[in-house]
Amino acid sequence: MGILALTLLSLGLSGYAIWRDKGLEWSFAVSTPPAPQGAPRFETVFDYSVDQGVAHAPAIVGRENGADIVWFQGSSEAQPDVEIHRARLTRSPDGTWRADTPKAIITSPDLGNTFTPQQLVVTLGNTIENEASPDNLYTTVVSVGGWAMASIADVAMQDGRPAQARKLNLSPFLNRSFLVKSPMVAYADGSHGLPAYFEMGSTYGALVRFDDTGRVRDQRRMAGDGVKPIQPMVVPLNADRAVAFLRDFNDSGRLYVSRTSDGGQSWSKAEATDIAHPNAPVAVLPVSGGRMLMALNGDAESADLLHLALSEDEGATWRVIHSLDRKPGDARYPMLRRLDDGDILLVYSHGTKTGLRAVVMNEAWVAAQ
Amino acid sequence: MSGVLAAGGLAVVLAWLVFTLAGWVVAAPVSVWLGGAVGALAVLLLRDTLPLRGLVALLAPFGVMLPALALRHMAAKLGLPVVPFGALELAVFLVAYVVFLASAMGALPLDIYRLGYAPLPVAGMVLAVCFYGFLTGNWFLPLVAVLGQALWLSGWGSSNWFDYVTHVLLVPVAAVVLLLRVF
Repeated sequence: MGILALTLLSLGLSGYAIWRDKGLEWSFAVSTPPAPQGAPRFETVFDYSVDQGVAHAPAIVGRENGADIVWFQGSSEAQPDVEIHRARLTRSPDGTWRADTPKAIITSPDLGNTFTPQQLVVTLGNTIENEASPDNLYTTVVSVGGWAMASIADVAMQDGRPAQARKLNLSPFLNRSFLVKSPMVAYADGSHGLPAYFEMGSTYGALVRFDDTGRVRDQRRMAGDGVKPIQPMVVPLNADRAVAFLRDFNDSGRLYVSRTSDGGQSWSKAEATDIAHPNAPVAVLPVSGGRMLMALNGDAESADLLHLALSEDEGATWRVIHSLDRKPGDARYPMLRRLDDGDILLVYSHGTKTGLRAVVMNEAWVAAQ
Repeated sequence: MSGVLAAGGLAVVLAWLVFTLAGWVVAAPVSVWLGGAVGALAVLLLRDTLPLRGLVALLAPFGVMLPALALRHMAAKLGLPVVPFGALELAVFLVAYVVFLASAMGALPLDIYRLGYAPLPVAGMVLAVCFYGFLTGNWFLPLVAVLGQALWLSGWGSSNWFDYVTHVLLVPVAAVVLLLRVF
């Protein structure tokens, strides 16, 4: 009798769940980059170093008339004193750029207090903008163990401080071993997908989808054979097709790609490209003329130098157009974003994770290379 | 509400820990009440301390299954009628759960965990557990599955049903119980 009642209750709950569920649309939003105009511009707008410790993994948060750069900083990577810092870049009416004084916006104790449920946070890592929710962030948090035990926290910010946080429900290992690095992917229905990666065991990239309330609704993998493809950088090519560029955590010395032709529902097995690359991520942005701009290291073993390269065939071949750091200095972890005025912002860490640099360029500069 | 759920889960797990340790010294009714009192008081008075926040960080989300098993164990010691799991049931569960975890680690091409986000697969899995309950006459697993489905639907905790009805600690728990049965 009791089991029959539970079964009937389950049927009722299932009916309600199916009725309430809206499902997911799997069509990418494809933006059209602005055409080149005006004089070519390429300028360094932010250059920051720390005397001691690390300042690494910069990300870009879009903002009107500028952007925020966020990164993690502390005595050493994965230490309890690591904080998420922010510098605000503002474009003046005359076109010049100004950066405010960097400051800490998230600390481990603060985040632990705002978590639901409240809990210990040991250290912080890669952080990106939650583009589905203005000013909010996705932060990599570690409560126990190392990076392979990290979780992704959805952090709601208020007045530049964390107000609420919860871990994304991404794995049966107590929601652990998922991290973020690359920016989100826009879908045609206004929602966003989150490129993430699982770092335990065989290791794979993933695209995470959310429901209307920001809760995880689905995830799809980008896996490979004999490789550890992580930190997917997803670039939509049209409504259905996209390419993901993946770092190989196995030190194969190659950049990997995975492709989808059904809006991200399924991804091809990650395969090595001809692009020599160290165990480090790349950043890619669609630019005018149907081309893609990539920031990459371009060397099988060294992350000393950072290059910009263009592809005119959806990522099949690349031509280096510019080298950013001619003096070897471990330039890595690039991120590229389009600003609200159509310019392109590139940020990366340099000096063996001890500093950050931001460069603004326009389409005219890219076209002139 | 998810904070309340986590506090409840932590209180039950702490109660079970104290009950188990106290069971070496005092008889069952006393150890159960002692465990319950310590678990409740610890969560009410010490939840902002480092050890308890560490436990939440270590074990959350607690889900339904882990606290339910702890309560079931304590209820059995109080003399309430509890149908024990058979050795075959435990062995099958252990193998199935390890396969499930392996699939989540990417060792298998199929990702079983992602089925826990979608209403239709969850409906099918809960019904299957209820059917299994009919066959065995044991209401415990159907209760956990349906309670997990209700909480999953409430939006208070995890958005994945598996987070309510499984917990990684079940691997050592099931393995130890199975070994004790066999040897």
